Amino acid sequence: MAVPKVAKNTRLPFQKTWTQKASTQKRIFLLLAVTPPFLGYLLFSLYPNILSVYYALLNWNGISEPVFVGFDNFVKMLHDQFVWRALYHNFLLLVAVVPLTIIISLFLAYLITYMPFRENAFLKVLFFFPNVLSTVVIALLWAFIYDGNYGLLNSLLRMFGINLDTFWLGQESTALWALVLPFVWGGVGLYVIIFSNAMLSIPKSLYESAILDGAGHMTLLFKITIPLLRPIIYVGVLFVSLGTIKGFETVLILTNGGPAGSTDVLGLYMFNLAFGETVHNYGYASAVGMLLFIILTGTKLIMDKFFPNSGVEY
Amino acid sequence: MKEKHTFIDIIWRIILYLWGITILFPLVWVLYEALKTNQEFFKDIWKLPETLQWVNFKNAWTEYNFGGSLLNTLYYVGGSMVIGLFFTTINAYALTRLQFRGRKLIWGLIMMSLFLPGINALVPQYVLMRDLHLTNSLTGLILLSSLGESVFYLLLLSGFMKSIPKELEESAMIDGASLFKIFFKIIVPLATPGIVTVAIFKFIGFYNNFLGPFIYLSDPSKYTIAVQMYEANKLMQYSADWVTLFAGVMIAMVPSVIIFILFQRSIIEGATLGGIKN
Repeated sequence: MAVPKVAKNTRLPFQKTWTQKASTQKRIFLLLAVTPPFLGYLLFSLYPNILSVYYALLNWNGISEPVFVGFDNFVKMLHDQFVWRALYHNFLLLVAVVPLTIIISLFLAYLITYMPFRENAFLKVLFFFPNVLSTVVIALLWAFIYDGNYGLLNSLLRMFGINLDTFWLGQESTALWALVLPFVWGGVGLYVIIFSNAMLSIPKSLYESAILDGAGHMTLLFKITIPLLRPIIYVGVLFVSLGTIKGFETVLILTNGGPAGSTDVLGLYMFNLAFGETVHNYGYASAVGMLLFIILTGTKLIMDKFFPNSGVEY
Repeated sequence: MKEKHTFIDIIWRIILYLWGITILFPLVWVLYEALKTNQEFFKDIWKLPETLQWVNFKNAWTEYNFGGSLLNTLYYVGGSMVIGLFFTTINAYALTRLQFRGRKLIWGLIMMSLFLPGINALVPQYVLMRDLHLTNSLTGLILLSSLGESVFYLLLLSGFMKSIPKELEESAMIDGASLFKIFFKIIVPLATPGIVTVAIFKFIGFYNNFLGPFIYLSDPSKYTIAVQMYEANKLMQYSADWVTLFAGVMIAMVPSVIIFILFQRSIIEGATLGGIKN
């Protein structure tokens, strides 16, 4: 927008020109409009992010004087079996959650978009509903489902004659896998919508000619829809991956890493190092945070590099 | 596409319904369990309640201090929304429509946060809040939530602002309108659809925020509903009072359900604009 420059030498004494008034008024406006949110962003967002690099080099319990220890925390991390165990759990969750979420979403989106069922509009809305629920509500619902004595899952299995007393979240062998479903259940709806919108933008003529050639739904899905949707699928994979690596709240609420550390993930390990009930170690927690930062940024960069189309910033 | 209703179509339809049932069934189940007595529930989890125990909801309300935590939640969500929404909107306008020195730098710094996952900042953020004496305070949490991060919303709104024709502003300026007047009388009304979308998402995000209140609020009388439900679940492991917890979960869901029913169209359209949920 062109704001006229204040012409200094033509100004009459004691008289403000309207352009000058406009520029003072603009300064006040900018001061109010830009400064508070920008300072807030610098203080609450950018500054802590930068500071986390420094904190990672400290030995500090949060109360006593911090001691600068250089890269000791990172060396310690290399030998910390809990870090490796947490990373492994992150990896297992990733391998299960990402494909399940994407495949289920693609499949449901395809059915909802291309099947002439009248109730599809309603189903689309219903599928999205878990996405507006809070992590706590989702976690508690799944805690009810997984309970050994009174849970929905075991009761359903009993109806089919399978008598299990498994406390799905209370056993080391099942707990991590039990966490997969809350993640998938809470995430699918969003991607059904995203994929279904993308499918609607595929020209119908492509399908029509394929149908004339006698192609069935599976052929259409795998030969036309999925290849054309590739860029948006990559975006989906990236979002779900980053969300799964970062999202430790569900784990915190459902198991807090237990039993016996069998569901500990990296974010939760960091959280408990800093805010847990036992010893606090802000320095080491920040170092684990830096590792998470590297993993998350690395995942994003690798995805962008290999699938250039996915580098869409929303 | 021309379709015949074939046998395979029925299978597809069943698959769609199955996913629908995985969503609806647990919710309906929790609702009707919430209307039973504990004895009825322990005896048979499938049976419908003999008489509807609405008293469970009353118990949940008092036992989990929903009155207090609802007020806390309203204060936290309301405060964060009002402050956040005002600044995001006015900031989006200033950054997209006004020329001033340092604008590019500010944009650049703000855009940087798109590459910051944020999780590594949890600890320094906590130390900062502690140093500012803003921990264990809902007002502190409001400041952190409303000023901390809103790039997605800023981008969304600046997209809206860009589509408003410049002539409107220019003619108002020639008529002598101040920037404040232009902002409130021209920009805000024209950007209302975008502002409403952002408001809805902020509401959902703040209402669902668990980690922030969980980290920062130590005094139980300041708990928001999300933290309260987390604590209620921990307590339940000792009391085995299932039906009250079921009722509590149902109460905690009410605001989400209302917002979803009222604004489902905007929510679903807005959700595709970005990974707003995270």
